[in-house]
Amino acid sequence: MTCKDFEAQLDAYIDNELPPAVVGEMTEHLDACAACARSHERQLALRRALTQHAPALQAPPGLRASIRQAIRAQIRPAATPRLPEWRWLAAAAVLVGVVAGTWRVATTRARAEALTDALLASHVRSLLGSHLLDVASSDQHTVKPWFNGKLDYSPSVYDLAGRGYPLLGGRLDYVANGAVAALVYGRRQHVISVFLWPAERGPTAGPATVTRQGYHMLHWIAPDYAYWVVSDLGSTELREFTQLLQRADSAAARPDGR
Amino acid sequence: MAPSELARFEALVLPHLDAAYTLARYLMDNDDDAHDVAQEALLRALKYFDGFRGDDARAWVLAIVRNACHTWQRTGRSHPVAVEFNEELHSGAVGDEHPEAALLRAADREAVRGAVAALPLEFREVIILREVQGLSYKEIGEIAEIPVGTVMSRLSRARRRLARALSSVARERS
Repeated sequence: MTCKDFEAQLDAYIDNELPPAVVGEMTEHLDACAACARSHERQLALRRALTQHAPALQAPPGLRASIRQAIRAQIRPAATPRLPEWRWLAAAAVLVGVVAGTWRVATTRARAEALTDALLASHVRSLLGSHLLDVASSDQHTVKPWFNGKLDYSPSVYDLAGRGYPLLGGRLDYVANGAVAALVYGRRQHVISVFLWPAERGPTAGPATVTRQGYHMLHWIAPDYAYWVVSDLGSTELREFTQLLQRADSAAARPDGR
Repeated sequence: MAPSELARFEALVLPHLDAAYTLARYLMDNDDDAHDVAQEALLRALKYFDGFRGDDARAWVLAIVRNACHTWQRTGRSHPVAVEFNEELHSGAVGDEHPEAALLRAADREAVRGAVAALPLEFREVIILREVQGLSYKEIGEIAEIPVGTVMSRLSRARRRLARALSSVARERS
């Protein structure tokens, strides 16, 4: 190799962009030629100066916040008509009526409702862009271990992509009874939150299906876990999804794994 | 956009916000322009995310940032700022054997940033993508829309300019 060849490929050599055979020739030349060794050292010095003084930067918090806000704005329907003020008053009056009505609901039912409220709020909040995923991965073997040390139980995570419900990831969330795992699956345009916690932790009571504000919520108790599934997906498909989960759960519970 | 697409955007694109800002900051002349152009680019990314089907979200978003920076610079929306050089230079050990390497070692932060900022945009972007963000020639070529051979020659010329600028600054000071 001539010095001219060496010089021409020096950048690519240091950038690790040369084929192995050429790397060998370059290294040989470097050992043999003092002038080229000096060029090489100059290059390294320049790169060290760049690495040291031209670092990667962090986005300012304001930038991150404005992007998140833009995401939230995408989720909120743009068509929120501004009501004239008298209509606000009317709406407030209706609200007072609703609140007064709710007041009379029996306490056990109120407790179950508080739970479904909390779960629905968690699901909706996650869609508002603030906190959809703590761990984003379609790999169950990435998502499941992520919860280690964050919860006192290890939630079951399944790969249902083959059935049309890809895993998107998971997040840690708080509902009435403490920290819980929320697993997030997708179905076309829809997001499904799966909440689960050990059944003995309670509360386990609750209606099997709830529909509120266009969201469906399904609830069941597997032998070990209380499950809640929340989504805006159609109830037929959501039911199919829960059946897949239940089947995967009972398959996992069998000792032979089948 | 559907919630699942937004979730995908959050999962795939938002992790590269720092990289996006870094590129914008080095390609623009000041913090405010960098903030604005990065924001504009990310919003554009959000808008067109439906059409993104590739597997390299970082390269995709960096290409959008890079194009936004070029547009800003071309349309003169940015405010040109005089490049400042720090009067002080660290007096590193200057060996006799490799004077230029020693001069480069002595380069301080202001000198390095000044020299980078003084590079023409097409040289600056390949340097930042390579040296600061550690991308491969192939990725850089995709982002800057140039063949790999051009990436290599631009990098090489950019580094020669940087080395010259830094040694001459150091020589002036010593």
